Amino acid sequence: MNMMEHFQASLNKGPAVPAQMPIKMKTENVKVHYGDKQALNGISLDVKERQVTALIGPSGCGKSTYLRCLNRMNDTIDAAKVSGKILLDGDDIYDPDLDVVELRARVGMVFQKPNPFPKSIFDNVSYGPKIHGLARNKDELAGIVETSLKRAGLWNEVKDRLDEPGTGLSGGQQQRLCIARAIAVSPEVILMDEPCSALDPIATATVETLIDELKQNYTIVIVTHSMQQAARVSQMTAMFHLGDLAEVGETEKMFSNPDDKRTQDYIMGRFG
Amino acid sequence: MTDVTANGLSDNAADTTKGRRDIGIRKRYASEKRFKAYGVAAISLGIFALVFLLFTVVSKGYTAFWQTEIRVPITFSQDMLGTPEQAAESQTKLLMANYPQLAREGLARLLEIDPEDKAAMTAAGKLVSTGVSVELRDIVMGDLSKIGTTEEVWLYADSELDSAMKGQYDLNVPESRRPISDLQLEYIQRLEAEGYLQQRFNWGLFTHGASSRAETAGVGVAILGSAYMMLIVLVLALPIGVAASIYLEEFAPKNKFTDLIEVNINNLAAVPSIVFGLLGLAVFINWFGLPRSAAVVGGLVLTLMTLPTIIIATRAALRAVPPSIRWAALGLGASKNQTVFQHVLPLAAPGILTGTIIGLAQALGETAPLLLIGMVAFVADYPDTPMDAATALPVQIYMWANEAERAFVERTSGAIMILLGFLALMNITAIFLRRRFEQRW
Repeated sequence: MNMMEHFQASLNKGPAVPAQMPIKMKTENVKVHYGDKQALNGISLDVKERQVTALIGPSGCGKSTYLRCLNRMNDTIDAAKVSGKILLDGDDIYDPDLDVVELRARVGMVFQKPNPFPKSIFDNVSYGPKIHGLARNKDELAGIVETSLKRAGLWNEVKDRLDEPGTGLSGGQQQRLCIARAIAVSPEVILMDEPCSALDPIATATVETLIDELKQNYTIVIVTHSMQQAARVSQMTAMFHLGDLAEVGETEKMFSNPDDKRTQDYIMGRFG
Repeated sequence: MTDVTANGLSDNAADTTKGRRDIGIRKRYASEKRFKAYGVAAISLGIFALVFLLFTVVSKGYTAFWQTEIRVPITFSQDMLGTPEQAAESQTKLLMANYPQLAREGLARLLEIDPEDKAAMTAAGKLVSTGVSVELRDIVMGDLSKIGTTEEVWLYADSELDSAMKGQYDLNVPESRRPISDLQLEYIQRLEAEGYLQQRFNWGLFTHGASSRAETAGVGVAILGSAYMMLIVLVLALPIGVAASIYLEEFAPKNKFTDLIEVNINNLAAVPSIVFGLLGLAVFINWFGLPRSAAVVGGLVLTLMTLPTIIIATRAALRAVPPSIRWAALGLGASKNQTVFQHVLPLAAPGILTGTIIGLAQALGETAPLLLIGMVAFVADYPDTPMDAATALPVQIYMWANEAERAFVERTSGAIMILLGFLALMNITAIFLRRRFEQRW
């Protein structure tokens, strides 16, 4: 079995992807400079609604940088300068009229290393709804927490110990708690930056199943180093290379018949 | 043949490699052992120095917590004090009365001395402190009905007697070479045998103010002055320092100007404290016109001195909060302010508290700047407000250390013990807070 066949075996054989989903996020010629260094050389990429878009590529290719542009997390880095257009439902997210707080409520993020707040499980999930005023009373808040934990597939494991610290959970549970925390503010898009890289294979499988379920309600963009993971969970794949977008297309096509030489080499394991 | 040669060669090669490796390993272990030994030696030296210091201080100072007192039946005679009715009208007589004579008469009765025997009366009178004036006056003025009655009162013994009782004088030398005469010695022995003379716990050490008589000198005013100053330092330095650190660490842009500020804060922490004293003298006293010797000026000067310590500790504590916590909050749509005050600051709190308490402890032990703003003062009365003249614990120690009398030597060490006690208390609080609130992630 050659490498291509190997990946095809991993490909998501779920219900056929609706051919044309509407575009949720559109980026045009996005460039990012860190001081003098240019990290992204003009990326134009469409993220389709209620699909999983995987960003793959060797280390340092700019996929995480691109991801962090989508909810303006790059704002927190003084040296980073972003140019180009990023549209969410057709609205420029760098428009001064659009508040970054509102943007991040609509575009949530899950990080590489699970980073629950050192507070109780309940407080972790309820923090977002609280600051955005999503619940009018305690019962509503508890409802949101329960729904979010259920959607993240964590409810049954933690329902009896919601007041225990979130940091006491296992790595995989912590990451699912972070996903629950992100979906508690009802985002439209969830960005995931290598969400499984700190997890063991079993926890990874759980999170991947979860991602597959979440795509029914959310648009997901995931950065991953694991090509099997990209093949398993995504419908669209974008291959980054040295700050350029090498190729983007349907995952199935990318892993079976890539157009770009670099994609082919990367998937075959020749570099990266 | 070839086999043998080959074997011999390879054995040799193995031996050499093995030998070389052994030497390397032995050297590495030896250097590790050496380093450990240096460490143990350094720590032992430190512990020895600490134990020696504590032993010296405690062995000299523990006697300061006991004070020889004599139980004397005092007759508050109407001849001297006037009737209670007269006293209620005018206190002049009470203020002017010859209380030492009352004490002398009481002692004479106790020791069965003929009041006409002037020498014996003088010798007996010198057994009690001249501070009895204040003690007895306070008793009478507190309760006028005591006039005309007789009551047993514990009076402070003279400090020379106190020192003798504590074995600080060699009493076997000729009479002319010691402060206590043979006659007085005989009185002392009689009083002690009958239980009229005892060493009692010296509460006065904690409650009295400055006094030129060792037996009535205490650190009460100094403790209150230090407490005022610590309060001022805490109220000013904590909010200013924490606010400055949060701004510098979380909000300020990173540029040349903020770099310059950072360098200067670090340098300020190393400025000799006496320079801060000069600054306080020039600015707070000469320019702002605040009163000299007042706790408020001391507090302000110590605030300036403590600020860099608190800022550095707070910034370190803020920096130790993992950035992932900030990302998590920002990623959920928390504003910068919410991120800092709801997540970063609570996590940094134990570090900030520890830094603050260490800064306060440093300020509590500071002497030099207080010398310059006039807190080296003889303050007998409690300061009612921080604007009144006061002194501080380390300054009181400094002043007592300059006194020649035996009784002040033990009091100096006693006051050091009290100061060390407060410092230990603060440091234990810091450790406790750190343990209690430390978050792991």
